[in-house]
Amino acid sequence: MAAVKFDNSRRGTFELARKILIIDDEDDIREVARLSLESVAGWDVIVANSGAQGVARAAEQHPDAILLDVMMPGMDGPSTFRELRKNPDTARIPVLLLTAKVQGTDQRRFADLGVEAILFKPFDPLTLSSQIAGALGWN
Amino acid sequence: MMDPKAITGAQAEELSQAMDRLWIRFLPEIMERVAIMEAAAAAMVSGTITKSERENAVAAAHKLAGTLGTFKLMDGTVLARDLEACFNPGDAPIDGQYAASLVAKLRAVIDSKISSS
Repeated sequence: MAAVKFDNSRRGTFELARKILIIDDEDDIREVARLSLESVAGWDVIVANSGAQGVARAAEQHPDAILLDVMMPGMDGPSTFRELRKNPDTARIPVLLLTAKVQGTDQRRFADLGVEAILFKPFDPLTLSSQIAGALGWN
Repeated sequence: MMDPKAITGAQAEELSQAMDRLWIRFLPEIMERVAIMEAAAAAMVSGTITKSERENAVAAAHKLAGTLGTFKLMDGTVLARDLEACFNPGDAPIDGQYAASLVAKLRAVIDSKISSS
């Protein structure tokens, strides 16, 4: 559930402070995405460095959305997504896949999973949050 | 949500500086991935590349393709995508010299950013 947060530094109005879970095995991508979402959007960010850790964090923290890497060792993005959907606690959390795969066949395969959206690496740190918000109707 | 268009110059500058710090922090990993591809390209040239070396090179190229553009190195992302295709065992055999030339270009792109920062 999103928490209401007073953001005096930016707009001086009440805003929804979204909580986002980033699941990615790459330290650099995780940190850039965290920096982007925290500094540009003011969202709360939690991170996981594997699919298994991400499934556990999602069940504990109940984020408003999950940004999920596709290619990870062990439990990859699609497997992680299926695990999230199996658990009633996490089944309704919107998931956005984050991938460096640009081929159409890959994109169709990912879309068939039932994720909310597919975002592509590399992303622009300035616009990542608006991409997520746009995909989830948070604007 | 903060509209990115509404970000002030100072906030954009702050983000840019934070990105520069992350670039420096993760540069060793980035260069390690380049080194993996350089070794794989050299092994292709000599005809000694193993399945494991190819797979490691594919993974390194894939990660760089996703990372470099985020640090404003889109040329690097394009080269890394080409390299990912080059090293992919599922694709047709390619010229090791071509792979080596792509890796050299990629290193030059990264070196250029290092020298300008």
